[in-house]
Amino acid sequence: MTERPAEPVLAARGLVRDEGRRTVLGPLDLEIAERECLAVVGPNGAGKTTLLRCLSGLRAATRGALFHRGRPYSALSRRELARRIAYVPQVRPAEVPLTVREVVLLGRFPYLARLQLAPSALDHRAVENALAAVGIEALAERPLDELSGGERQMAWIAAALAQESEVLILDEPTTHLDPRHQRDVAGLLLRLHRESGATIVLATHDLELAGLLGNRVLALSAGRAFALGAPGEVLAAGPLAVLFDAPFDAEISAPAARLRLAP
Amino acid sequence: MRRPLDPRLALGLLGLLWLAVAFGAPLLGSQKVALGEVFRDGTAATIFWQLRLPRVLLALLAGGALSTAGLGFQTLFRNPLAEPYTLGVAGGAALGAVLAVRFAEGAGAWGLPLVALASFAGALGATALVAGVAIRRKETETATLLLAGIGVSLSTSALILFVQYLANATQTFQMVRWMMGGLAVVGYREVLWVLPWTLFGLAVLLAGRWELNLLLAGEEIAASRGVDVPRLRFRVLLAVSLMIGALVAVAGPIGFVGLMVPHALRRLVGHDHLVLAPACLLGGGAFLALADLAARTVMAPADLPVGVLTALLGGPVFLLLLVLRRRRA
Repeated sequence: MTERPAEPVLAARGLVRDEGRRTVLGPLDLEIAERECLAVVGPNGAGKTTLLRCLSGLRAATRGALFHRGRPYSALSRRELARRIAYVPQVRPAEVPLTVREVVLLGRFPYLARLQLAPSALDHRAVENALAAVGIEALAERPLDELSGGERQMAWIAAALAQESEVLILDEPTTHLDPRHQRDVAGLLLRLHRESGATIVLATHDLELAGLLGNRVLALSAGRAFALGAPGEVLAAGPLAVLFDAPFDAEISAPAARLRLAP
Repeated sequence: MRRPLDPRLALGLLGLLWLAVAFGAPLLGSQKVALGEVFRDGTAATIFWQLRLPRVLLALLAGGALSTAGLGFQTLFRNPLAEPYTLGVAGGAALGAVLAVRFAEGAGAWGLPLVALASFAGALGATALVAGVAIRRKETETATLLLAGIGVSLSTSALILFVQYLANATQTFQMVRWMMGGLAVVGYREVLWVLPWTLFGLAVLLAGRWELNLLLAGEEIAASRGVDVPRLRFRVLLAVSLMIGALVAVAGPIGFVGLMVPHALRRLVGHDHLVLAPACLLGGGAFLALADLAARTVMAPADLPVGVLTALLGGPVFLLLLVLRRRRA
């Protein structure tokens, strides 16, 4: 099912990211193919968020380089990058004084001319499409701060979709959500991936979600690739026990990998 | 949540209020001027054209500049309690003014007293220092900027006290009066000096309208949508500092306007900077001109510095805002 065109959509070559004097990521080589969904797992502090920030272009590589379809990130402006890659960060401000529609409309910024007074009909259509894709048309006029955590997450994903980029990067999209909303978000991402052919990179602690969505799983440990491969290989009891330094009792059932920490 | 007013209606109403204050306020005061006397020769006309009109115009500009700058700082730092003086701008300006009073009394250049020029330089110096400290750390953080601002403010306060200790009684009096902030002794020269800086600041905020709106959703979101956050911050910081520095140079520090007005107007017109920035310019101007009218009439013939009045009003309003916020949350 996974197609493998010659040129990857995203590529990291010898990627290293230092924060202060510490190397938090890399060296790492990674290629993400078109329509692929890569799930990134690993213990806290393994460098998952840093990897996603680098792939989104929010953090520069200390050494090595990142490429979008063969073009280095350094040759792309911030707005050009935002038209290609959308990012849904994990940490978001608590008080955002905007309605859902306004938040989603902000995703159109990379397409606006600098002195453009009002968004075009095209922008509004993209907003409607994004709201519909996520299924939150009914919430459009509600202030973001009044929504539940799950609804808010849906709104942020819609905002990323309004960017109409070919790559969607999500950091812990289901953390802090109740089981129902976790399922909703997972279902949405699955739909986006299977039906719209989006290229997705997501970091998650939810190994079940990683197994469900990922065509491949990247396990990070101390900033390096500990394992990279099919969900069935990476999300197995053996590698996971080493990765998380805890005994795992894994029962892998297609298509989802069901995993529980052993008692 | 209440719906904001239609932007055109809101800006229209604020514009009318602004005009009403611009023409009405110069008629009022310890000595009333009848509208009919304004265009005839005589004392009344002199009071209107030479004394009161420039003062009202400067108040309109000053209130607008302070409010617009407050809006800029609040969005930039994502902190509703930030105001134009948060980054040590007032401290730097005051230090410049105090040094000029102590060491170069009465000197001047380019038609402006040295006190004004020195405080302008002080305001810009303080901002540059704060920005410089913050930028040395590669990815500038909001918290770093705010803390650097507090550091600069504390240092300038100490230096001001030291200079005051060295000064004689007359100079000390002048220094204290300068720091109260007021519009008592102004002419058209001051108005023309403040005008371009204020319009420049407004233009920069308007040009950055989408980026500033995005910043409301957080720095990381803004950056991932294509906003060059450090450059935006530098641009807005520079424009706002020039605007405030130029104003403080002629009016002294006038506090709390930049805090109160954007708060009130957000409830009226919403959060879009395209509407909110001009609303702050008009509404803040009208507010300060009315405050100055009160300052020169409530204790007439005494002429209270308007900075004292806004500070007296502002403290309780600030506390009230905090209590109301807590209750709503």
